[in-house]
Amino acid sequence: MIDWNEVIALAMESFPKMFMAGITATIPLALVSFVLAMIIAVACAMVQYARIPVIRRIVQFYIWVFRGTPMLVQLFIMYFGMQSIGIRISAVTAAIIVFSLNTGAYCAETVRGSIEGVSKGQFEAGYCSGMNYMQIMFHVVLPQAFRTAFPSLFNNLISLVKDTSLAANITVVEMFMTTERIAGRTYRFMQLYLEVALVYLIFCTILTWVQSWGEKKLSYYDVKKV
Amino acid sequence: MAMLEIRGIHKSFGDAHILNGVDLSVNKGDVVAILGPSGSGKTTLLRCINYLETADQGTMQFKDETYDLSDTDHKRIAQFRRHTGFVFQNYNLFINKTALENVTLGLMTAGKMPKKQAEQIGMELLEKVGMKDRASYYPSQLSGGQQQRVAIARALAGNPEIIFFDEPTSALDPELIGEVLGVMKKLAEEGMTMIVVTHEMGFARNVSNHVIFMEHGVIVEEGDAHAFFENPKNERTREFLRMEER
Ligand SMILES: Nc1ncnc2c1ncn2[C@@H]1O[C@H](COP(=O)(O)OP(=O)(O)OP(=O)(O)O)[C@@H](O)[C@H]1O
Ligand SMILES: [Mg+2]
Repeated sequence: MIDWNEVIALAMESFPKMFMAGITATIPLALVSFVLAMIIAVACAMVQYARIPVIRRIVQFYIWVFRGTPMLVQLFIMYFGMQSIGIRISAVTAAIIVFSLNTGAYCAETVRGSIEGVSKGQFEAGYCSGMNYMQIMFHVVLPQAFRTAFPSLFNNLISLVKDTSLAANITVVEMFMTTERIAGRTYRFMQLYLEVALVYLIFCTILTWVQSWGEKKLSYYDVKKV
Repeated sequence: MAMLEIRGIHKSFGDAHILNGVDLSVNKGDVVAILGPSGSGKTTLLRCINYLETADQGTMQFKDETYDLSDTDHKRIAQFRRHTGFVFQNYNLFINKTALENVTLGLMTAGKMPKKQAEQIGMELLEKVGMKDRASYYPSQLSGGQQQRVAIARALAGNPEIIFFDEPTSALDPELIGEVLGVMKKLAEEGMTMIVVTHEMGFARNVSNHVIFMEHGVIVEEGDAHAFFENPKNERTREFLRMEER
């Protein structure tokens, strides 16, 4: 028989801890990594788009490696692997490095595709207005590309929020690690894992709402005036 | 002395010779109409002059400077473009910018002009093309004719000495052509130097003072607008005019 009083007591104790960990660790970890990933992605996409020799090959190599290997393995290399050869990086730093490089590799391709989707005429009009390549890129092309890429980039952010749970494997105390600790003490695995799943679900649902709101906001320039 | 003197433009795409030695001389205040059948190289000619395409060879004399049209040096190209405007067949307005921002962006970025001053100039230019009341509209919220008028205001923003028009009315519904031609006529009357590729025979006849007929990448015939239409010398020109004026 299930002792509901016990279930409720544990839930009352564990949910606040999970939410706290989520808000103070999981979300910041995901957001910081994602911001870095965006910078990496835009830089890589621009290098690829402009076909800059040599650097472009390096970028292709980086994307190939990070998309072709499991994130968990990347985390282990960056933390335990580095440690074993004498390079000490804190677990959180290692996690941020891996998450941003990994997400950056995926987003780079998305951003590049979106830049390529911007009409060449936008560049030509920019040049004829006296602007240079970088000015056109930042004021005209990237904003348009970002609009196209937004839904897909946001999906990457949502994935990243869930994937931060992998950082528990390299001792980062985020939401899943917090759950593990409570489970280790109480042995109520099923209840606690279901609870943490629910919290992830709530976070991701909220992000999905933010995504739809953002898409509406970003379509400002193709809304017909009435 | 001519303001813009172009000598011997050659341009091929792969094996296709599109421009085969075009010379062009434009005086200050000239309105030059370039006519010719589809594929004769009119667009390519304008694009080569403004460095949107790199010519295989050709030189250009402009404001006591000699330019090499096969040059790819960004500084030289930018220097030439500072004095020119370009109006595209399909407008090419920045779709993420309002009408006003389309006009001011170049001033603020390339010209490093303060926003206030740029917007003042922008509003004046939009007023000139009759688009002041649409300043805050995005291109998708404007008709083709309105977009093209904004594009003309944008081309005027850098205070150019010459403006190139590549079939500015060809993408427009017939009822919208007049408003764009009206703006161009006004510019011509104010003394703006313009090179206009067009199929609008009325514009070429009544507004331009010099007409060029191109075919297969060479100038077949050119001359004073009146003489050109009243008295075309070349058989191909006569044939073309008969076709166009039908
Ligand atoms: N980037 C390019 N690559 C290959 N061929 C090109 C390119 N641009 C133009 N051409 C070719 O050059 C020829 C001349 O083109 P251009 O656009 O200059 O003609 P046009 O006189 O402007 O014609 P239209 O009246 O149809 O606009 C065409 O046969 C076209 O297919
Ligand atoms: Mg053309």
